[in-house]
Amino acid sequence: MDVVLLLQRIFDALFNSAIYSSLALALVIIFRSTGLLNFAQGEMATFSAYIAFVLLAGAAPGVTGGGLASWIGAPLVTPLAIGGAVVIGIAAGAATERVLIRPLRNAPELALVNVTIGILLALNSLMGQWWGTGPRVFPPFFPSSPGDHIDIAGARLRFSTVGAWLVLFALLTVLALLLRYTRAGLAFRAVSIDSESAALNGIRVGPTLMYGWALAAGLGAIAANMSANSVLLEPTMMVRVLVYAFAAATLGGLDSPKGALVGGVVIGLSQTLIPAYVPFIGFELSVLPALVAMVVVLIVRPAGLFGTQRIERV
Amino acid sequence: MSDDNWPSPMPRPGDDDDPGAEASVFAVFAPPEADEPPETATLPEADEPSETATLGAEPSGGVLGVRRGSPTASGVGTAILSAGGADHLERPRRRIGPLSWIGAVLLGVWLVAMPLTSSVTELRQNTQIIVMVLAVLGVNVATGYGGMISLGHGVFVAVGAFAAAYAVDDLALPWALSILAGTAFAGVIGALVGLPALRIKGIHLALVTLGLAIVFQPLAKRVPAFSGGVSGRAVGAELVPPSWFGTSRWTEGLYHYLICLVVVGLAMWLTHNIINSRPGRAMRAVRDNDTASAVYGVNLVASRVSTFAVSASLAGLAGALGIVLVPFASQESYPFQESLVLYATAVLGGLGSLWGSVLGVAIREVFSRIGELLGDVSGLGPLGEFLRLLDEEQFVFGVLLVALTFVFPRGLIGMFKRRQDDQAPRADRHGARA
Repeated sequence: MDVVLLLQRIFDALFNSAIYSSLALALVIIFRSTGLLNFAQGEMATFSAYIAFVLLAGAAPGVTGGGLASWIGAPLVTPLAIGGAVVIGIAAGAATERVLIRPLRNAPELALVNVTIGILLALNSLMGQWWGTGPRVFPPFFPSSPGDHIDIAGARLRFSTVGAWLVLFALLTVLALLLRYTRAGLAFRAVSIDSESAALNGIRVGPTLMYGWALAAGLGAIAANMSANSVLLEPTMMVRVLVYAFAAATLGGLDSPKGALVGGVVIGLSQTLIPAYVPFIGFELSVLPALVAMVVVLIVRPAGLFGTQRIERV
Repeated sequence: MSDDNWPSPMPRPGDDDDPGAEASVFAVFAPPEADEPPETATLPEADEPSETATLGAEPSGGVLGVRRGSPTASGVGTAILSAGGADHLERPRRRIGPLSWIGAVLLGVWLVAMPLTSSVTELRQNTQIIVMVLAVLGVNVATGYGGMISLGHGVFVAVGAFAAAYAVDDLALPWALSILAGTAFAGVIGALVGLPALRIKGIHLALVTLGLAIVFQPLAKRVPAFSGGVSGRAVGAELVPPSWFGTSRWTEGLYHYLICLVVVGLAMWLTHNIINSRPGRAMRAVRDNDTASAVYGVNLVASRVSTFAVSASLAGLAGALGIVLVPFASQESYPFQESLVLYATAVLGGLGSLWGSVLGVAIREVFSRIGELLGDVSGLGPLGEFLRLLDEEQFVFGVLLVALTFVFPRGLIGMFKRRQDDQAPRADRHGARA
């Protein structure tokens, strides 16, 4: 086995790992606090990437030029546009919780599946209609010209991979600080553990969950904006990524942030390495191992690697 | 066919208008702590002898140590007792509301008038719409009656189409057998998918079936002998009507229409009977509380797997009939969004109701016609842009799915019900907090 090639593949995989970890973390935040899987997480993230695209390229669909680029100096354009898009994504996430999710807090699980699936369908179609279903070129989040890499033992570790992990660790730090040292974070942890007791102690559960949705939407938006350059921006961009992220979250345990991180790394590695060494799978079918992993984990160990065991009352 | 999995597939006399078909077997015994809208917990009216009320007095409910004195336990007792064949009990007769009459008459008139007034192309398209009822019904059986959320039924439709095409072309089987083969093969695949559903429930199953829908397209491309690979497979064989039927293109269309109509009718009748038979009651009992059902002797493996098999074979039948109408099958036609639209159609019509699926397809058609009309309007600026969105089925269904969850939680069929006797499946929300 070619060790350098293997190392190279691992380095390449690590970029995807960071993306999957971020999105898995977003899913975990929402699942932990509400017991809900947000099927629309991927489309919401893609939508934010399109917002960045619009800010960069000009407002109207089909129009290029104009936009931020016309009145801000070139080097600042991309970070500003992406920053703006992430902020809009966060606001949209909070609004979604307030308008569509909170009124259903006592509704059966099926209703929430319906709402998130509805959002998925509508957003996916909306993006296709407004910006076309074809792929769009999206500016790189990190320097990614051919020379932008570090050589390690003959393999190339690209700046974008390093950058993605730096961003992920920065996000994790911010998240940990928010949850540990702010009132809202404390409230969020309390609601995650037991929303009823939290409510009895005077915590306003609704706004707290909205805070969680905002955090999750922000994570998703950052993940989408980081990956839109490499996978090309298109309406179904995050669909597969969402499967990987769900697989990662399931593997790590759907209520464990640590699990999301570990699961993201494992799924990212397997997504690159399995197709490379199993010819039948190939690149296109690389989503199959993730699905199989998800099914196996759910059957054998539903709590995942780090999740809490669920005890069911009859 | 689909009923092969059941121990007693034969219809029982007096089953035809059984309101219990759409009723949750546990509905009247909803646990008091459940956050349900109050109407679901109402007891049946006292003057109506009700299956559940009568049986609720059976002592067996208390024997269970699941939760002492729990209403759920006696509810399960009821369900299993009736599943055990308590057929002699009186049931309330369904009263058919005026809206249902109007709906039935409209449907009947349309079924007769449509083929007489349509062009060949329109007739074919409308027949496809009728066939789609089966796919939606498939989702309904899994999700509405079985309580297993399936977001991947487009896969079974595709599998049915591919298998039937393979049978009729490569194996040179007659059409009737090929359609059965497509149905059966989809049923087998459905049973395989149903196996993990033994452990994977509720929202996690939704996740897995969504994954299945997403993985289907690349997977189908990998088995070109079966699916025709990237470009799909054309079906060589044609279902030619007998010579006395006429040989024009229109009579051929009519022949296909009649065959599809009869098959869809038969499949709906079979499904109705399955749902009202012992395995059907077991299915609904498992949906409402699987642990308790198992305690009462329902075989969870058999129930879940066969529910999924029936549901998938309905979808497969839709796919197999589809290639009679359009002699072409390709993975291109079954992106994951298609599965989600099928799911949305089932939910919109109303889960846990046979006619809900018909209504769902009708609504889908109405919206697509409206969308076509509005989509053609041009030159209105941003408003025109918005109107064109209404021509996008996915968008409309996404929005409707969200809106209906708020306005008609039981689906549109809820408008037709006079009694509060049906209920969408309730799954407990089991978050990390439990």
